[in-house]
Amino acid sequence: MTDALLTRLSSTPLLAVVLTLAAYLVGNALYRRLKQPSWLPPILLSAVLLAGLLALIGLPYAIYQQGASWLTFLLGPATVALGMPLYQQLPRIVELWRPLVVCLPLAATLAALYALGIAWLLGASPEVLASLAAKSVTAPIAIGITEQLGGRVPLLMGALLITGVTAIPLVSLAARLLRISDDRLIGFALGLNGHAIGTVRAFDLSPTAGAFASLGMSLTGIFTALWLPLAWHLVGGLG
Amino acid sequence: MPALTGFLWLTGLWLGGEVIIHFTALPISSGVIGMLLLCALLIQRQRVPTSIAAAAQPLIGLLAMLIMPGVVGVFFIADELAGQWLAIFGALVLGTAASVVTTLWLLKRLTPTDQRTP
Repeated sequence: MTDALLTRLSSTPLLAVVLTLAAYLVGNALYRRLKQPSWLPPILLSAVLLAGLLALIGLPYAIYQQGASWLTFLLGPATVALGMPLYQQLPRIVELWRPLVVCLPLAATLAALYALGIAWLLGASPEVLASLAAKSVTAPIAIGITEQLGGRVPLLMGALLITGVTAIPLVSLAARLLRISDDRLIGFALGLNGHAIGTVRAFDLSPTAGAFASLGMSLTGIFTALWLPLAWHLVGGLG
Repeated sequence: MPALTGFLWLTGLWLGGEVIIHFTALPISSGVIGMLLLCALLIQRQRVPTSIAAAAQPLIGLLAMLIMPGVVGVFFIADELAGQWLAIFGALVLGTAASVVTTLWLLKRLTPTDQRTP
């Protein structure tokens, strides 16, 4: 595309919004065409398409991101909206409160520790470690945590994508191996480990799975936001 | 205009979350506070008003699209992380596998109803 035209089109959010919507819809159509493989969620297809489009047009990511903030602003009300399925599934959540309360702090802590331990063993730099720590936390909360730890937000977003995308097939595989068919448990595990990407997948399974995923996602986010920055500074202070 | 009324509720609760964070310095995002506020509001009303459902349902359906612009950023920092990719991928994939198995195993152990249902 000519520079003058690109400058004109990227001076407003218009181009970023059109590209995002197009990549999202085409990614979803491809996903259906491929008979909905669980190892290749539509968000990965769409993200690859979008990255390809940006590279092809020559639109710098920073400018794209600025325009797309018109869309990402809606993450705020969308996060608030998750309170609705949470309310609708409340009776089923109350039924299971004990396992959830015991499991959550342990599992959410381990989700961060496993990744940090492996990355540390494989020789990741402190900056990379700080960017990976919040990998199971939903984006709006994870960005805040990562900034507190001194990590890099774009790497965190990539870590979120990889984590969410791998969590989906891993949850179905592990559920099969452990012979778990309860949508409530599968949903909770999807939200706890796979944040918003896992939650989107859980809503595909059933509304119950979706509600438990929203619960797992929000509790993991709140819990991690409370302990991780504190623990990080304690460990950093010792070392 | 039910969807617009619902949207006002959602954004209003989000704003409420911001105000709460300002005064309490909680390290939680305002969206999550807004979500808990919405849940509390619905518990108090004991039903979901049509206006809130009309705004919330489509937004939830769009979650995946809304995180895409941030997610796509990783493709543009690839060069800066050369040499660290093995550590990053290993940590994320193996770490997620370990935590998924741990979560499901814990849940199964702790949930009595799972064994009861055939």
